[in-house]
Amino acid sequence: MVANLLIYGLVNSVVLMLTALGFSLTFGLSGVANFAHGGLYLLAGFLAWIFINSFGLPAALGMILAVIVVGILGALIYRFILMPVRGIVLSEVISTFAVGVAILEFFRWKGFVTYDFSLPVLVQGSVKISGVSIDYQRLLIIAIGLALALLLWFFTHHTRIGLALRGMSQDEYTALSVGIESDWAGMLSLALGAGLAGVAAVVILPLGIISINMGYDVLLIALAVTVLGGLESTTGLVVGSFFVGYAMVITSTYLGPQWGEVVYLGAIVLVLAVKPSGLFGKSKELEERV
Amino acid sequence: MNPGYRKERIDRGIKVRSDDVFVLASMRDLLYVVLPRALVIILLLIFPAFQDILGSYWQNVMLSTMVIALLALSWDLLAGIGLVSLGQSLFFGMGGYLAGYLSFTFGWGPLYTLPVATVGGALLSTLTLYPILRLRGIYFGMITFAVPLLLSRVIEVTKILGGTEGMSSLPSFPNTGFELYLVMAVLFVTVYAYRMLVGTDYGLVFNAIRDNDRAVVAAGYDIQWYKAQGVFIAALPACFAGAFMTHHFQFVGMPAFALDYSILPLTSVVIGGVGTFFGAVLGSFVLVPLSELLREFGSLRVVVYSLMLLVFTIGLPEGIFRFVLRKYHQFERLVPMEEASNE
Amino acid sequence: MKKRIPVLVALFLSLSLLVSLAGCGQPAQSTAQNKIVLGVPTALGTVEGKDSLNSVNMAVDEINAAGGVEVGGKKYQLSVVSIDTREAEAGIPVNDALTAVDKLISQNKPNAIVVGAFRSEVLLASMDLVAKYKIPYITSIGMAPDYEKKIGENYDKYKYFFRMGLNSTYLVDYLNKTTGYIGKNFNFNKVYFMYQDVAWAKGTAAGVAAWAKSNGWTIVGQDSYPTGASDFSSSLAKAKAGGAQLIVPIFDMPQAGVLVKQAKSMQVPALLEGFISPVSAGNAWTTFNGEIDGFVNFVYEAGPIPLKNIPKSAAYNDAYAKKYGEDARVKLAGHGPGPAYDSVYVLVDAIKRANSLDSGNIVSALEKTDYDGVIGHIKFSKNHQVIYGENAKETASGLAFQWRAGKRVVVFPADAAESQIQLPQQ
Repeated sequence: MVANLLIYGLVNSVVLMLTALGFSLTFGLSGVANFAHGGLYLLAGFLAWIFINSFGLPAALGMILAVIVVGILGALIYRFILMPVRGIVLSEVISTFAVGVAILEFFRWKGFVTYDFSLPVLVQGSVKISGVSIDYQRLLIIAIGLALALLLWFFTHHTRIGLALRGMSQDEYTALSVGIESDWAGMLSLALGAGLAGVAAVVILPLGIISINMGYDVLLIALAVTVLGGLESTTGLVVGSFFVGYAMVITSTYLGPQWGEVVYLGAIVLVLAVKPSGLFGKSKELEERV
Repeated sequence: MNPGYRKERIDRGIKVRSDDVFVLASMRDLLYVVLPRALVIILLLIFPAFQDILGSYWQNVMLSTMVIALLALSWDLLAGIGLVSLGQSLFFGMGGYLAGYLSFTFGWGPLYTLPVATVGGALLSTLTLYPILRLRGIYFGMITFAVPLLLSRVIEVTKILGGTEGMSSLPSFPNTGFELYLVMAVLFVTVYAYRMLVGTDYGLVFNAIRDNDRAVVAAGYDIQWYKAQGVFIAALPACFAGAFMTHHFQFVGMPAFALDYSILPLTSVVIGGVGTFFGAVLGSFVLVPLSELLREFGSLRVVVYSLMLLVFTIGLPEGIFRFVLRKYHQFERLVPMEEASNE
Repeated sequence: MKKRIPVLVALFLSLSLLVSLAGCGQPAQSTAQNKIVLGVPTALGTVEGKDSLNSVNMAVDEINAAGGVEVGGKKYQLSVVSIDTREAEAGIPVNDALTAVDKLISQNKPNAIVVGAFRSEVLLASMDLVAKYKIPYITSIGMAPDYEKKIGENYDKYKYFFRMGLNSTYLVDYLNKTTGYIGKNFNFNKVYFMYQDVAWAKGTAAGVAAWAKSNGWTIVGQDSYPTGASDFSSSLAKAKAGGAQLIVPIFDMPQAGVLVKQAKSMQVPALLEGFISPVSAGNAWTTFNGEIDGFVNFVYEAGPIPLKNIPKSAAYNDAYAKKYGEDARVKLAGHGPGPAYDSVYVLVDAIKRANSLDSGNIVSALEKTDYDGVIGHIKFSKNHQVIYGENAKETASGLAFQWRAGKRVVVFPADAAESQIQLPQQ
């Protein structure tokens, strides 16, 4: 039972982390809370499904294509929706949320609600680790999740573009004065965030089916995990997702499965009330409260 | 557009003359000031008289329109204090559940539950939000987004207050006409009271907190306490709306915390225009009937109103009300542009 | 130019609003003289709702093609109006669904309602609303037994309500029978319940659990999942650790298909028996990559699978495949379509016998229904519930099948069974 908890807790944590990665990155790099995250996540899933099942593309190709399309869409969202309201936080939130809801409900209206919509797993089969059987897809998720987190940390801390983007989020005017273009940075951060949402979708969704309501859950999970870890810190994100991930698995095992959602919603409320910058966030300490 | 001309907006003469009600010079001036207001009020008041023609369905639509309008008003007031709520359903649910609980457990009728749930629900909501009132901007928004969802999940797992089944067979109102007039009265009172409130010195503090909270702190105000009062005042109509709907449907359950009650008011205000209260009401009178007309299309209506939200946020941030107001008070004309070199 | 766009958009929106308002003022009623209108207010986004509506349309087309219905010397054609109540989605308020029902009734003035509410919560709540209009209401999806209880308690008010579909009480009976069979034949006595946190599923699980307890079963665990949940690993792990031999899942949400996949990937050795809507469709084997071998799934009412003891069910399947395509037939939902189809025929039959469109007369005729349909032999109980049993000659019938090597093998009831329940090869 303990081995089971440990392993499935790990899987759950990495799933949460992957889910939140795009949201956290966008917020960290441009300060936009992309409430369309859940919509983009599901869009990637459905696009991959359409590419694979309607156009007959090979699974891997269809998934990569879906990620790219969603990434481009992220950039477009910035260009045509966020740019006119840039800087007005409320309008940013409302308009991205509207985009997300529009995407989700559009698919619902089009009848993408049945169980036919599931993505194929990339690798079949399963192994036994200390008496717990786990399938390759879940192992793949762990690998991709950890690799992406490392890669992102490297990107934001050790590459020119990454540093430029972070500079933008920390102090826009100073960044402008050293020649970083604000809109370019914003577009890139949205594109990256959306692309990551797509990656998360195509590796996580094969575990189950693609269902619309998941889009709303994904947004909440992303909020919970990033808020817990600190809205712009990669370390915080990792710690936050492991915290929430294990808490969810433990509560649903010992208290009942319906407690899972209470855990992450409770985490959002509690952390925001006590330490809004999260466990690891520093840079916005002064701005979020009086 | 002709490059040699520019558009000029000028107040109508009648507007300039009648700007102050004490110098109304003629019947025409009087009508200019009074007619738009009176027309709306009269139309609303005679609405229930058409119940035979319209049938119960449109009456229910009217009811839910006004309920959303109450939530939108509450949102607008909160926004006036700089608190942007993404979870109006918190207030709705609080009022609804309190009324439901009182009526379910003690058998109280709406006569008692409505006032108690309105005030009590507002108090409870204020207490719930008190610890997070220090938060600003998006952080406050996020937490209000999560709180109602959390509450409904808690009700689901702990099975308190009826759990997923909710509480049903609660007492209802005598008839629909009465319901319409009751909500209408509350709506009028709320609009009037809120318009008055923001004009007073007390209300000015609210707007000051929105504009620059640190300056208000520096001026020696306890903004935490002011925000709490603001939340209480804003929660009143929203809690009433919740309590009212509980008795209207004779049922209260987890859907009282549904996302709809958060998104619709927000969209209404964005459509109507932030900060005028009339805009909030106007917005809901556009949005709710529209979404009813689109009901046949199922989820498509949600798509439509999210797109409306988007279009208005980006394209017409001032909202319909200010737009209409400007058209009423001003006229536009093209005037030849002076040569730039002359300046 | 840029400033123009928002104004234009706003104008367009308000214009379209006006136009649609004007359009909706007068609902199309001009042809009401020779039409019998059937209303279908349900969750059309679900497979159950969609397939039921399709079946209703099919029955209506058949009747119209055969010349319609003759009442009092006048020929009537049937027509169907539907509205999506969206009630199956998490977070849609019950009252929102009720508003949809009210809209359908007040604007289209249907002579009767078929299919009806999807969620039991909505079904019970809509009884008061519909009773006001005094329209015959034949439900076939909502399952709460409180429905008949209400009818029994206040007959005069609720006499317009009938149920063609299975209710949870009968479902519990069916499940008890197969569970008893499984227990006796395989020496199983440890069971685990997993169910959706909605009224009918909770009631069903509680009913079976009570029966299991008093029949020597050990209940390893019982977990309820919120609608929309998509991770079932914690319960499966507990079931595995607790040595459960039988898992009874009861879900009507599409996400629940994940449960089967997860059980397979976690190599839970238990037999699964219950109801998961995605697993009941004929193409589930390919959807789940064959990971559902051995699953015993109930089909609440006969219809979606041709049964050898109900000749009409084969005809129904052929007709459905012809009208909507073989793909759609294979995917027919395990709950709803059969009784929805029969509802139309039973209703028309009652109208003919009553020779009147007055709802009171239709109700008395409906009560005397004695009809052979797709779901078996249809007779209403005193409280207006169609009587279900195992013999399709005398009562309506549900069925259970087991997934075996890509095929749905009917295993229950005995009259229709092609084989017995077997343990899957591990």
